[in-house]
Amino acid sequence: MLRQIVPKNARSKRALEKKEPHVVENPKTTLILRGTSCSQIVQLALADIHSLKRPSCIKFTKKNDIHPFEDVSSIEFFSEKNDASLLIFGHNSKKRPHCLTLIRTHAYKILDMLELYLDPESFRTLNQFKNAKCAVGLKPMITFSGTLFDSPTSNAYTLAKSVFLDLFKGHDATSIDVEGLQYMIHISAEEEVDGQPPPQIKFRIYLIRTKRSGQKLPRVEVEEMGPRMDFRVGRVREAEESVMREALKKPKQLEPKTKKNIETDIMGDKIGRIHLGKQDLSTLQTRKMKGLKRGRNDIDEDNATTLVEGDDETSPKRERLEQLEA
Amino acid sequence: MADVAMAETSTTSPQSPISKLTNGTTDLAIHDAEMLDTEPNGVSLNGLSSSKPPRPSVDVQKPIPYTFDLGHLLCLDTNPLPPHSTESDLTSIARDAAQALINQLLTTLTPTSTPDGVFLPLPAPSTPLPREKPVPAEKEPTKWERFAAKKGIKDKRRDGKMVYDEGSGEWVPKWGYKGKNKEGEGEWLVEVDEKRESETGEAGDKRRDGREERKERVKRNERRQRANERNSRKSG
Repeated sequence: MLRQIVPKNARSKRALEKKEPHVVENPKTTLILRGTSCSQIVQLALADIHSLKRPSCIKFTKKNDIHPFEDVSSIEFFSEKNDASLLIFGHNSKKRPHCLTLIRTHAYKILDMLELYLDPESFRTLNQFKNAKCAVGLKPMITFSGTLFDSPTSNAYTLAKSVFLDLFKGHDATSIDVEGLQYMIHISAEEEVDGQPPPQIKFRIYLIRTKRSGQKLPRVEVEEMGPRMDFRVGRVREAEESVMREALKKPKQLEPKTKKNIETDIMGDKIGRIHLGKQDLSTLQTRKMKGLKRGRNDIDEDNATTLVEGDDETSPKRERLEQLEA
Repeated sequence: MADVAMAETSTTSPQSPISKLTNGTTDLAIHDAEMLDTEPNGVSLNGLSSSKPPRPSVDVQKPIPYTFDLGHLLCLDTNPLPPHSTESDLTSIARDAAQALINQLLTTLTPTSTPDGVFLPLPAPSTPLPREKPVPAEKEPTKWERFAAKKGIKDKRRDGKMVYDEGSGEWVPKWGYKGKNKEGEGEWLVEVDEKRESETGEAGDKRRDGREERKERVKRNERRQRANERNSRKSG
């Protein structure tokens, strides 16, 4: 816990306000740390992740005597000090070779942790692929392949999916430039087979190349950009249910305001209900019939009223009137 | 480790078939716009001469359909991977997923053309991700606000800063420079309060008393503000 700072000037007040919780949050900052023993491979991997995550990423170079699964206090301190809620801790030991620990925090407290052991044989850095790289700060497309990522119960793979998505999704955009769809992160895992170690998580990044196809949609080809990493899953610390529920809460201000009498049905059609006044039925035009037609002769209003009762031409009243007129 | 890695990268060097195909590509935006007028020509050519290579396919067929979360540009492919899949298997799986995702983006969303480029409006993301910090707490009501709510006192309609001064027949500000609340403080001549003089023996100054009373009110209000802030910090 850092000491409480009382702002003494407008600049420090603004800086503190930036750190406060907001309804619409800023993109999460990632902090990359290394342990006391950190192999060359892990360092290269951290450097690559840093270059992918720019500009919302901080990388520290000094060694830190941290063991996240034993003691979380220094991780929480770093998280608060740097206002970073995603941390990647690189470490190497005989028991946990080439280990990357992905850590998420909520309100500067550890939310969940996942250990991934990098496979040194298949690891390739970003620069080992000799091709053009994508621009900095673009929102990537992300794909997950494999049944393990869609498990109904939470396991290391669903956690990995959530953490990788959180790590690489970039800024939340309401619209995206079509030219910005330049690269795709592809994360896959094979099937789980009994009696064999759990399958590796394969992390690949591809550049997207589009070709004319003669149709409206383009033909898509991919070209590997790097880095290429294969991970074994290590220790997992899942989030406490109450903390996760708290973290997933949506602010009331962001809920769409319901407008009265306007609904959207399951087909996505917008339906509005309009209230009209009472209809005036007295001026209603009903079916036209010869018998109901007003004659050309009855100009006289008095006569017309008397005529209403008898339609029949030979009614006694009509006869009497005709006699009078004559 | 490094020399092993360098040896292997030759498979992904620019000589790969994929990169050859991509030589004549354009970006999506231009591509999409041009496609409409080039389409009829392409069709007639294909019909006339069979020597042209067949159209590259753009649709993806999978036993289990993909699920998308376009807000995150996310595509989830739940088809099982073949056991011991090689790099080329992974690339083809990734290509299919990329094609499906781009198809989904371009067909379900309506692009808008601006001078800066073609933009796709993204829907709100549906995959829940944890917030960085908790939802901001509601502001603690001040002591006055609580009292007003209890008593049912509504906010007064703001009627501006200026008030009419009967004496001078002019509109003057309620407070501030030449404010109404400083009335009488600048008088050059004031009456002596006889009653007060007879009681206390001092004449007293109406100008000074008015000013002191006003300053006292300001100080009281500041004290109340500080107390409210302190209380909100304690509870919040």
